[in-house]
Amino acid sequence: MEKVSGIRDPTRGRMAGQERRIDDTILIREAQRGNRGAFEELVRHYDQAVLRLALHLTGTEHDAQDVYQDAFLKAYKNIGSFRFECSFYTWIYRIVTNLCLDHLRKKTVRKEDAPVVKDASGGEYDLLDQVPDGRAGANPERDLMRRQLGARISGALEKLTPRERMVFELKHYHGLKLRTVGEILHTTEETAKNTLFRATQKLRGQLADMR
Amino acid sequence: MKCEWVRENITLQVYGELADDARHELEQHIARCADCATELKVEQEFHALLSQERAAEPTANLLAASRMKLQEALETAEPGGFWRRLTFDPANWLRQVRFSPALASAILILGFAGGLGTSYRVFGHPASGVATGTTPAATESSITGIQSITQEPGTNQIAIKYDTVSTLETQGSLNDQRIQQLLLFAARNNYNSGVRMDSVDLLTKKPDVSQVRDALIYALRYDTNPGVRLKALDGLGGFVKDDVHVRDAVLEALVNDSNPGVRTEALRWIEPVKADGSVRGVLMTLAAKDQSQYIKSQARTMLAQLPEID
Repeated sequence: MEKVSGIRDPTRGRMAGQERRIDDTILIREAQRGNRGAFEELVRHYDQAVLRLALHLTGTEHDAQDVYQDAFLKAYKNIGSFRFECSFYTWIYRIVTNLCLDHLRKKTVRKEDAPVVKDASGGEYDLLDQVPDGRAGANPERDLMRRQLGARISGALEKLTPRERMVFELKHYHGLKLRTVGEILHTTEETAKNTLFRATQKLRGQLADMR
Repeated sequence: MKCEWVRENITLQVYGELADDARHELEQHIARCADCATELKVEQEFHALLSQERAAEPTANLLAASRMKLQEALETAEPGGFWRRLTFDPANWLRQVRFSPALASAILILGFAGGLGTSYRVFGHPASGVATGTTPAATESSITGIQSITQEPGTNQIAIKYDTVSTLETQGSLNDQRIQQLLLFAARNNYNSGVRMDSVDLLTKKPDVSQVRDALIYALRYDTNPGVRLKALDGLGGFVKDDVHVRDAVLEALVNDSNPGVRTEALRWIEPVKADGSVRGVLMTLAAKDQSQYIKSQARTMLAQLPEID
């Protein structure tokens, strides 16, 4: 009996990427002609990644939903001016990151937006601490440690400038190449590298006692 | 100095963003330098620590709710289509000029030429060219320069010679010769790809005019914007059977275009003429060695549908 090989075809990813690109081109052209269904299909290709980025950067589901909606509405209204000079992926990420940067800048000014609220007795607690860990095998002690670590990392991330936060987020949590990050943020790869270096240095300083 | 360089690049090494030669250099140094090796270890541990906290995935409920909310909003939103592209976008225009120094120079020269032309008329017809209280004043934005200011001796009359650049507008149907000429000019010469796209889009409605077809072939072959090339291809597609020039241009796009979308579309258009000798030859080449697996397999399928040649 023939054994199924577990080795992944190296050309498969590239082909899938090319097919996606062709698919997107056709959908964009249809959307430019006013076909809303085509735009909605295009949204499905990217919306999970967009929502994930927005959720992590804004910290609340409500704000993430607002960023998601604003980003795709903006894309819909401007689809006619999309000139295929970059990929749709870069274009939509550019819109989302701009909206998130605005959000982060406002948040820096209005500290009350932080997910720290007061309980009935007036004591502060972190909303993130209230999220239960649904992973299998979790035990209360580990769960507590994970939450403490999460809270410390979130706190350290919030101390970064919006731009440093964005570069770090796109690189560390979304695994984007710094070249793509540069394209999205309208800057050079070199600047993105320097920003990532600054961000990690600051985070190391903030979290020095945790190592 | 070497250690300093290594420490600046350790973060990039951990994120796999270092160029191959720099990575090699860094690894060589770390093998010899204990301090830098420790620094790399610390950075790797820190990276692992941060990676313990993963970005939360949005829940299925949140995603579904977001999609529904967006769908509702899209129902009342206006898509940015054709008419929107006709509106002038100064920011985009400036960006185009910034990235096209040659075009910027050409526009500057045209501006000067236009200005000189205007001032020539002023000199030639002094009675009408000199601004008087009754002449409608030019808006500030249309004045490109002041040539001279003189005051008539003994009077309070001032004569100012100034250059202006004016934008003209013309209107008419697609059958109007003047409109067609301007569209043909825009399709070939405009620096703004949005304007080229709009002119090519309108021209595709008149593909039976041979001048229009030539302009579409030109756009398909030479336009730098794949969107414009795709539009031109759409306008030409129906003529692959009857016009050998169109067929050649579509085959050229199929073989050489840098954009996979354009190539796929070209492949679709040549389907009705796949039995033609030149088309068959191109399909055989694509089926044998095209880089795109999709094009390769489509070409094979099309060839398989053809009757055998004895």
